[in-house]
Amino acid sequence: MTAVNVSGLVKRYKKIEAVRGVTFSVTEGEIFALVGPNGVGKSTILKMLATILVPTAGSAEVFGLDTVADAAKVREIISYLPEEAGAYKNLTGHEYLDFMASVFLRDGEKAAAAVRYGAELCGLKDRLKDKIQTYSKGMTRKLLLSRAVMIKPRLAILDEPTSGMDIINGYEIRRTIKQLAAQGMTFIISSHNMLEIEFLSDRIGMINRGELLACDTPAALKERFATGNLEEVFVKLAESGA
Amino acid sequence: MKIFFILFRKEVKELVTKQLVISIAAMLFIFQVIGKFTGEQSKASAARKSAVVVMDLDRSPLSGMVIAGLEKTGYKVTLAADGNAEEALFSPQYADESLFVTLPAGMQKALDCGKKPELGFFAKFKKTISGMGASMSAPRTGKIISRVNEELSDYAIKKKSPSADPAFLKEPITAVEYVAVGGAVAQVPVSQVLLFAQSQTYFFPIAVFFIVVLSAQMVMMAVASEKENKTLETLLSSPIDRRLLVVSKLSASAFIAAVLSGAYMLGMRSFMSGITGAAGSQTAVSARSAFEKLGLLITPQGYLLIGLSVLFCILCALSMAFILGVLAEDVKSIQGMITPLMMMLMLSYLLPMFIDLDLAPTGLKFLLYAIPFTHAFIAPQTVMSGNTAQVLWGIIYQAWVFALFVSIAGRLFSGEALLTLKLRFGRKKNVL
Ligand SMILES: Nc1ncnc2c1ncn2[C@@H]1O[C@H](COP(=O)(O)OP(=O)(O)O)[C@@H](O)[C@H]1O
Ligand SMILES: [Mg+2]
Repeated sequence: MTAVNVSGLVKRYKKIEAVRGVTFSVTEGEIFALVGPNGVGKSTILKMLATILVPTAGSAEVFGLDTVADAAKVREIISYLPEEAGAYKNLTGHEYLDFMASVFLRDGEKAAAAVRYGAELCGLKDRLKDKIQTYSKGMTRKLLLSRAVMIKPRLAILDEPTSGMDIINGYEIRRTIKQLAAQGMTFIISSHNMLEIEFLSDRIGMINRGELLACDTPAALKERFATGNLEEVFVKLAESGA
Repeated sequence: MKIFFILFRKEVKELVTKQLVISIAAMLFIFQVIGKFTGEQSKASAARKSAVVVMDLDRSPLSGMVIAGLEKTGYKVTLAADGNAEEALFSPQYADESLFVTLPAGMQKALDCGKKPELGFFAKFKKTISGMGASMSAPRTGKIISRVNEELSDYAIKKKSPSADPAFLKEPITAVEYVAVGGAVAQVPVSQVLLFAQSQTYFFPIAVFFIVVLSAQMVMMAVASEKENKTLETLLSSPIDRRLLVVSKLSASAFIAAVLSGAYMLGMRSFMSGITGAAGSQTAVSARSAFEKLGLLITPQGYLLIGLSVLFCILCALSMAFILGVLAEDVKSIQGMITPLMMMLMLSYLLPMFIDLDLAPTGLKFLLYAIPFTHAFIAPQTVMSGNTAQVLWGIIYQAWVFALFVSIAGRLFSGEALLTLKLRFGRKKNVL
């Protein structure tokens, strides 16, 4: 089943056209990654999928629901982790999970189960009783990521989920994402780190200056450009596009 | 409804930080301490009031009468040795004294032949002229001058006609003071009415001002920090009704502001009672029936109106602050963003204290009434003067402004403006 269908997507901020007619689709259970340097429009695309930005033109659908016309329904099945997000500093980790679970799940029992799962997933153990302002950056990120997936969304939209993490934490998070995808959760993530994305994702969309240059599996992309390195693929694509 | 309480609780938890609690406790403590110290100092200077150093160069029966008269009316008189006045003023013996009187030689003789003797009254300060003690010195000097005058005029009258009653001659009337306000008349000293009215018009606006500023700052902080931490983006992508986000933030800030203002009022009261002691409130009680007759005592309905006016004032400020917070880029920039709100508040708080709104030029009047806060600041006076209709119209206007701003806030929240709108003070250059 098609989880995400984006066609001719355009987003213009006041002066800049950040996304210029992007088209791609993601199937259920897939890990799809948008890759490219900073400022090319990855976050903008994800925000449109997360229903918090309205496309200037084109459309984005999540499990057949339009992100503008059916925004309320889309919000029921997605979970969005913004880039460089923080949490409520004056709450404890546990209170934060509790709060977010109640926001996303109206059913109290489901929410409690989600909190249990999130608490286990983030691996913070006793530190969950401390205020978030005492957490390190990596701990906060793990908490946020657990929050994003604990509610078992059909589509998880993660903007730079591993940025700023150390090797171990980054590795753990990638492993968790893979496990959840194997259970059927669909992921659409962004990254400017080609190496990590090669390991993590099923398919990659290479973005430059608001345009999708290529969209395929890492292996197919490397084969097409006869190189063992995704970064080289990107450079060649960017050169031919310019 | 349940989700509202979850949101509300989270807002309260986020807003009640350690710093906030500490700063409120510090404020209460400072109020208490300042009130106590000023109170003690004014008591001390009240005690000092009765001490006077008299230099009697006349040594006549009359000067004896003056000194006896001073002692009888509560002065602690110290008789200085002969010499000139300045010597006594700066002699170490009288280092702590601050009030000196010289009775000149030939005082009685001058009076006997109908001439005015020249008496010297000295107020002495220790280096600086400041503080409670210093501010009391003018009335204190005036008081002892009239006291000595009394003694001398009693003597002069007795001298002219021994059978006369000086007290009657000097004050042949019984003065009964009446005060008329808005169609009612009551027998009560004007000074008491003034004191009462001032106590209401001074402290009420301070408290309102404080609540409004505090809650406005809180709501701005709350929105700006959610924006900065991107927690807002997360909430916006959730199934929660976005209007609930607005309402829960506004009500949590209003709730905390109300609690804080309660604490503030307590602090203020202990401060005031420290300064004035119980004396002030006692005179107010004795004049209570007169105030009631004059309609100066606010009825329960009056309080309800004032309360509503204050409530809508707070709500207006909150809704405006909310929008400013939405437009703020981050937490740091809210100091700048709150300036327009503060200016409006200052205008509506201070101007009505110094000018008579009824006599103000139309333009100014219009401006002040257009600011929704003004209606709350002047509500007690308006209620006391019996102009209920004006208060009601004020409340209706405030409610309208509130509704307007809430709908703007709601609109900002329903679209993507939250993520794309940014107001910058000191515009940054766009680097392309
Ligand atoms: N709220 C905004 N207002 C104006 N321009 C924006 C806004 N958000 C992003 N942009 C611009 O849009 C372009 C794409 O940004 P973004 O989607 O964040 O890129 P990426 O996530 O790939 O780093 C950038 O040039 C950025 O400056
Ligand atoms: Mg980005």
